[in-house]
Amino acid sequence: MSRLNAWIQERIPVHGDQLRELTNEPVPNHLKRWWFALGGTPAYLFVVQVVTGILLAFYYQSSPSAAWESVRYITEDARYGWYIRSLHKWAATLMIASVILHQMRVYFTAAYRRPRELNWVIGMCLLMCTLLTGFTGYSLVFEQLSYWGATVAANISDAVPVIGSFGKQMLLAGDTYNERTLPRFYILHAAVLPTTIILLMAVHITFIRLHGVTELHFEDESPDEPDHFNFFPDHLLTELTIGLVLMILLSALATVLPATMGPRANPLVTPEVIKPEWFFYVSFRWLKLFSLSVAVISTGFIIAAMFVWPWIDRLLIRLTRNEDASVYVGIVATFLLIGLTVWEAVVTH
Amino acid sequence: MQEPSGDIRGERTDAVESRPDGSESRRGFLEHAAGVTMAGGLTAGYGMLVSHAVRFLYPSETDPGSWQFVCTLDDLQPGDSMPFTTPAGAKLVVARQAEDPAQDDAFIALSSVCPHLGCKVHWEANNERFFCPCHNGAFDAQGNPIAGPPKAAGQSLTRFPLRIEGNLLMVWVPGTGISEVISETNA
Repeated sequence: MSRLNAWIQERIPVHGDQLRELTNEPVPNHLKRWWFALGGTPAYLFVVQVVTGILLAFYYQSSPSAAWESVRYITEDARYGWYIRSLHKWAATLMIASVILHQMRVYFTAAYRRPRELNWVIGMCLLMCTLLTGFTGYSLVFEQLSYWGATVAANISDAVPVIGSFGKQMLLAGDTYNERTLPRFYILHAAVLPTTIILLMAVHITFIRLHGVTELHFEDESPDEPDHFNFFPDHLLTELTIGLVLMILLSALATVLPATMGPRANPLVTPEVIKPEWFFYVSFRWLKLFSLSVAVISTGFIIAAMFVWPWIDRLLIRLTRNEDASVYVGIVATFLLIGLTVWEAVVTH
Repeated sequence: MQEPSGDIRGERTDAVESRPDGSESRRGFLEHAAGVTMAGGLTAGYGMLVSHAVRFLYPSETDPGSWQFVCTLDDLQPGDSMPFTTPAGAKLVVARQAEDPAQDDAFIALSSVCPHLGCKVHWEANNERFFCPCHNGAFDAQGNPIAGPPKAAGQSLTRFPLRIEGNLLMVWVPGTGISEVISETNA
């Protein structure tokens, strides 16, 4: 055994102490509360997406004549296909929800403030990539929602000043949805965006390690207790518990509410009731409230403001002399987000 | 054996780096020039690759469209309209609005594609309007916007170009679309 150890040690010259040093980041006490550990949740769900996505790719065909049928085969004929596809769908839903919750937690605890501004920007890039992956994902099923969602999205892109028309052409591979469009969505969904997400996550986590997790203190904390606990094994166990709960939740959702097949895409008929996936309800309702150019330009401004929020926040504090000014903005934005989503969810048109 | 003078590994010494008047030495200049050339070469080389990649991904010109026969002028009386399906499967409405074919807008061909975000409008007979289910846009029988985002932006239903050749009404329709690919597999 010692010879085997020596053999391994010689070829992989890393010692246990070094590994412990590398992983044992002291974690602030507030992360014992699970809702402060939401950042790890999308990372865990991302792994679920990679695994189930690779499995689905064994059967999926990205040509418009075969796509819907291949998804139907996965859902109805392939053994456990319904389960794998439903896991993929529900993990996507939970991933987007947890990314939004994680971002709200970071926002309302002002964890993006100096010196962590750049990590907020990287987080915003991750949010955009996650939403784009969600969008390209439901385009691949090639049901009515997929087709008309993609058409609407491409035309929204077309309305963006200066670069919009280029964006539409690059997205659709032509003026309108054509037989070269779906392979683009597939490559974006299964290769380009996941790779980008992995790289961004690596930078995101590196920044967290370099700066440490933001220290939060609560009134009910005893001053005698230590401020920090060990990443290994304490925090890892918290993450594993969250992972286990998520897997149970995903399995339950996949079983009780499995992914179904909508009607196949028909480029000649827009269905009487057409809605995107829930995470785009906000922008869909926004588009109904204003003319296209107003809706697109205002959305662009809102997203740009979100990207540079750490600097806007500093400006707000200087102008209002109130440390919590951004909290009030956040409360209004959250109500707007929930309000528009619910509005779109409950009405037919 | 005598040691070679200077540094054979190319490390710079103060003696050769700068002259007493502060101007750059020949070696310093050459090092800068080599650095700039290297950076320029790399930028140009990989820049070219990126440029080619973007051009590769940007769609090439496809079939722009063609003139299609709709009907003879006698087939469409003033006040009448008829549906027309293009070879690619797009549906449009062709209507005659005046007796004199030479008059402007004697004939119109309305696209069924909503100018807002590209969904298909359909005719609601009870409301006498074209309705787009995506964002609640509505148009009158002439394709003018009457409600929703198209009205806010003043966008009418697109008119397809028409021309009269002798007694024949012709319409310009876009090239192939995806519906051809799908209907072929369905058939």
